[in-house]
Amino acid sequence: MKPGLKMIVLVKQVPEIEKVRFDYEKGRLDRSSAGAVINPFDLNALEAAVQIKEKTGGEITVLSMGPPQAKEALKDALARGADNAVLLTDVKFAGADTLATSYTLSCAVRKLEPFDLILCGEKTIDGDTAQVGPEVAEFLGIPHVAYVEKILDVNENRVVTRSRMERCYYDIEMRFPSLITVTKDANTPRLPTLRDKIKARKAEITIWSADDLSDIAHEAIFGASNSPTRVAKVYAPLSSKRKAVFIKGTTEEKARQIASLLAELVL
Amino acid sequence: MTGTNEKVLKKLEETVGKDWVVTEREFMENYLQDETPESVRPSAANDLILVKPSSTEEVSQILKLANQEKIPVFPVGGRTGLVGASVPTEPGIILSLERMKKIEIDRQNLMAIVEAGATLGELIEASEAAGLFFPLHPGDEGAQIGGLIATNAGGVRAVKYGVVRNYVKGIEAVLPTGEVLNLGGRLIKNNAGYDLMHLIIGSEGTLCVVTKAVIKLYARSKFSATLIVPFQRRFDAIKSVQAILQSGVVPLAIEYVELKEINQAAEHLNEEWPVQEGKAQLMLILTAISEDELLSACEKISEVCEKNGAGETVIAETKEEQDKILRVRSNIYTTLKPQMIDILDVTVPPSRLGDLMNAVDEIARKHETHLPVYGHAGDGNLHIHIMKEEDKPPDYASKVKREIYDAGIRLGGVITGEHGIGKIRVDEFALTIGEKELSLMKGIKKLFDPNNILNPGKVIPSG
Repeated sequence: MKPGLKMIVLVKQVPEIEKVRFDYEKGRLDRSSAGAVINPFDLNALEAAVQIKEKTGGEITVLSMGPPQAKEALKDALARGADNAVLLTDVKFAGADTLATSYTLSCAVRKLEPFDLILCGEKTIDGDTAQVGPEVAEFLGIPHVAYVEKILDVNENRVVTRSRMERCYYDIEMRFPSLITVTKDANTPRLPTLRDKIKARKAEITIWSADDLSDIAHEAIFGASNSPTRVAKVYAPLSSKRKAVFIKGTTEEKARQIASLLAELVL
Repeated sequence: MTGTNEKVLKKLEETVGKDWVVTEREFMENYLQDETPESVRPSAANDLILVKPSSTEEVSQILKLANQEKIPVFPVGGRTGLVGASVPTEPGIILSLERMKKIEIDRQNLMAIVEAGATLGELIEASEAAGLFFPLHPGDEGAQIGGLIATNAGGVRAVKYGVVRNYVKGIEAVLPTGEVLNLGGRLIKNNAGYDLMHLIIGSEGTLCVVTKAVIKLYARSKFSATLIVPFQRRFDAIKSVQAILQSGVVPLAIEYVELKEINQAAEHLNEEWPVQEGKAQLMLILTAISEDELLSACEKISEVCEKNGAGETVIAETKEEQDKILRVRSNIYTTLKPQMIDILDVTVPPSRLGDLMNAVDEIARKHETHLPVYGHAGDGNLHIHIMKEEDKPPDYASKVKREIYDAGIRLGGVITGEHGIGKIRVDEFALTIGEKELSLMKGIKKLFDPNNILNPGKVIPSG
């Protein structure tokens, strides 16, 4: 094993938010309308790991659960500085809620043991729950800190992080193994070099199915049928157009019109 | 206009409705200036009427009236120009077509039929919604189609598909007499007689008022990437531009930026520019129908640049990352603006761009100043900025400008590649073109607008 920290970054492939359209009739995202990318918050987690690696040395494994095409996201992560990539893909995993997802990911993490630090984005832009990171840590029984906006210090034994919580911030020192979730403010993810991008396209991604986790996991907790929560309905707010009213007349008339318009709005 | 005010005002109100005629100065402030840097921006006249017609018929009636009464008319668009072309410099009518903003997408012919008041942003949005693409990006998306055509706008992304002129296939325009011209159409080929449409494109509102246009669109490429290639030496970056184009790869855009200015622009937006290596950089935008095709073009570019001394090429592929880069690049002007006296857009044959930059350096050294540059390297179009010193325009400003123009012309170029003549370059324009050329232009102006009511004092020197 390489000297330095062994880090695992959890990533999810999500629709490209700038392009994706919402299907109002069916009440779901039209995933065919956009390409897929690494969840932007996960890029911050990956960048944090790469910065730690630059300081302490070590190895970064990116881990994702998703359909076979999520391999592309993992290849992108390799281009951006990860060393290894593992994709959990199996129909048995499909439709999992955050609990089943976290359980499945935690099983894969156990298979990757030993590790020092797991890094996740604070949430995904398509699910927006911020639950998976902390739930993975709970399944693994390791300490965790969420919403890290700065890594204050790190060495081979521990990490010191700062998390902002409304009007205060917490500076927390945590021994390994442990897990952090990072915010957008943690760093600016670097762009991959073209050379690394081309190299990563040819890289092999390790694929694990439910069978590969069978020595660790209870299959009973995988996938949609074993998820205790269900999404009842998804809807997107319809955007309302700004309205303009031109007011004309004498100063007094204008003042009266403004007053009555304001009164209408307040009511 | 004094004296005719009441009568004209009444007729204008009858034509467009009372709500769309504005006489109070405080309600037309935004229409009195454009984006021209303050030090050189012309002042707006007093005694102005702002009129907002909703149809070609109304535009026709307004122009007919103005022509009869010999009242100057200043057509305005999104007012994003940089040479004072839309500033109403004489008492008269400000004509804004902002209410005329219908967009029809003709998917069969890959064209958009757009009214002049629709904005660039709206055209981009409508094209994308139809699965098509308007590649050109002259900058501010608040610019209106009428203005883009009147100024033959350029900007980034002109390398592959050209400037506005290359997109316009048809025009509806109103002459000062009120007569309506319909030129071109949904046609790829059109050789019927003199090409009046192309005469109107870039005429800066001095010949007629464009009310509608047929704009060529392209199929949307599913894959796109933005590359940033760093160089230690400016010369190597410019040399690479020619080598890239000779290699057969045609990017949408090839932009040249310098690290100091691009970092300032990024900081201004609270962003970080992703490449800190190399003080001279190329930014390229590419599109393709597959990722394989895209990356193989990127590799070709990188290979060519490396042969010319480039550092490590980085690639942005997500829309968010690419938009960020373009946003920072587009913000250089805004960042420099408060300290800027003038922005020049001298254009030379692309192969002479390096020589132009060297000449600009020499001029800067001579006057002991710094002239920030960036530009559309693939088009030979360089933006050179003359800056204030200690918050004031220095004595040498006009001398510097003249020397840069001379250098551009000596290298086979022109004083403006995209901003146009407007108001602030009229005198310089007259000095830099041939007498016969100027007299033909004056003749054309007279033929279209014998009473000189349309944007008077712009482009063509009076007298």
